[in-house]
Amino acid sequence: MSGQSQRLNVVPTVTMLGAMKARLVGATRGHALLKKKSDALTVQFRQILKKIVSTKESMGEIMKTSSFALTEVKYVAGDSIKHSVLENVKNASLKVRSKQENIAGVKLPKFEYFTEGETKNDLTGLARGGQQVQQCRAAYVKAIEVLVELASLQTSFLTLDEAIKTTNRRVNALENVVKPRLENTIIYIKAELDELEREDFFRLKKIQGYKKRAIEKQVASAKQFAEEQSAEKVSLQQGISISSAHNLLSAAAHKDEDIIF
Amino acid sequence: MYGFEALTFNIHAGYLEAIVRGHRAGLLTAADYNNLCQCETLDDIKMHLSATEYGSYLQNEPSPLHTTTIVEKCTLKLVDDYKHMLCQATEPLSTFLEYITYGHMIDNVVLIVTGTLHERDVQELLEKCHPLGMFDSIATLAVAQNMRELYRLVLVDTPLAPYFSECITSEDLDDMNIEIMRNTLYKAYLEDFYRFCQKLGGATAEIMSDLLSFEADRRAVNITINSIGTELTRDDRKKLYSNFGLFYPYGHEELAVCEDIDQVRGVMEKYPPYQSIFSKLSYGESQMLDKAFYEEEVKRLCLAFEQQFHYGVFFAYMRLREQEIRNLMWISECVAQNQKSRVHDSVVFIF
Repeated sequence: MSGQSQRLNVVPTVTMLGAMKARLVGATRGHALLKKKSDALTVQFRQILKKIVSTKESMGEIMKTSSFALTEVKYVAGDSIKHSVLENVKNASLKVRSKQENIAGVKLPKFEYFTEGETKNDLTGLARGGQQVQQCRAAYVKAIEVLVELASLQTSFLTLDEAIKTTNRRVNALENVVKPRLENTIIYIKAELDELEREDFFRLKKIQGYKKRAIEKQVASAKQFAEEQSAEKVSLQQGISISSAHNLLSAAAHKDEDIIF
Repeated sequence: MYGFEALTFNIHAGYLEAIVRGHRAGLLTAADYNNLCQCETLDDIKMHLSATEYGSYLQNEPSPLHTTTIVEKCTLKLVDDYKHMLCQATEPLSTFLEYITYGHMIDNVVLIVTGTLHERDVQELLEKCHPLGMFDSIATLAVAQNMRELYRLVLVDTPLAPYFSECITSEDLDDMNIEIMRNTLYKAYLEDFYRFCQKLGGATAEIMSDLLSFEADRRAVNITINSIGTELTRDDRKKLYSNFGLFYPYGHEELAVCEDIDQVRGVMEKYPPYQSIFSKLSYGESQMLDKAFYEEEVKRLCLAFEQQFHYGVFFAYMRLREQEIRNLMWISECVAQNQKSRVHDSVVFIF
């Protein structure tokens, strides 16, 4: 990147100037809007960050509780209960759905979980441990809730981060590159136009000068001619044409062979 | 026959009874449990256990120890003890010892059936089975392609055949909920075991019938409590209760119509031996019920060792070992998950 921004290479005409001005206005408005968008996104970003921190803390707690509930189950119902539960499963009954949310123009993904299908495992641990199994199930469902929420928060965090970076990049680009370039171009065009004008003016003045001199010359020669004419008239009145007199004299100056003396 | 066992028992089973009593002396005591509860990491636990009978099984484990490894190795020790006793036993002690493991066999069979239904890999299923419940033909169960074959295979190959034929026909295997199937099988097993003990007579019959009645009653209470609010109908519930025990038959009638825990408590309090269990719980709470049951069971099992010349000591030893392994698992998990404050919630001291 060059230190000072360049200007655009354009033909410096008046229409171009109008176009450049329009673009500058557009750029200024765009800059203001994007700055507002960036501020809104940053506010959202901070909020999400706070929520992430608190959710992560609670997730640690909840995972601890649910693993402990699992231990209680293993204690009461024997170690093999987890195998029998695992083998009895065909589909997941807790599933996650994603949808889009629109925040300040940015599309953020959001996850939510839903239960599908009845679970057949209601009677697990019928002879012993049933209570603990149900409690463990509830604990893990809560854990999944928290995890899903954390997942959506983290994805929105990342997406927002990207969006903020892009917006800020655009703001900075407008501020530091596009607008100065346009301004420089406008200045250049104006300068060129001024120069053209000055050139024209100069040319005009010069031509005026020439014309004036030409006219003066004409006037001078006309005057001289007029003088000569009047002199001729006067001499004719006196019987000699000055000019012919002059011619005689001058002819006499030439040696004519026919003439003896 | 009372009294004459002292004459002939030692001929066939004296050696094994001595072995069992030796093993019983090796069970962890309250002091051991206190030490274990003070441990900070799993390696500490391993160090403490190396001073007990589990030492040789744990010493070869590499250092980042996992709680499941501890449990596996301790179970391995139990299986070794059991196998040693089984080889040395003669009839009818060998049949008795086999009966003790039918419970685990039922769990394994049900596991494989479920797994095959959902098309899981055979080898994985076999690895997940409990070692005490393995039998030779268990692998053939997994070969079955559908329920009809499974039924045929199960009837032919397993020692559990009579329980299947008694209670389930081949159509039932398809629809029936796995848990109901498991519990029906277990009920048949308990009743069979009870009859067998009665046939043995003498001190064995007396002690075992006491222990088995407690088991049947405890199962009845658990089934009742766990089926409150589910789709299990009252008739189905009644079908799962065994036909012996303190609750039979009037208690079962009352339990079948119970709809919440306080009603169950009311039924149980009519039977004096079980009053003490519920007195430990406050109203409406059922979490500690399982622990209370375990404590009661341990008390009765220890009493079995007070008499000589009967087979009940073997049953008691196996159950006490299982309880000890449960305690170890609980302590290791609490230590590993940093929940040492909850350790004493569920450890049942045996001595």
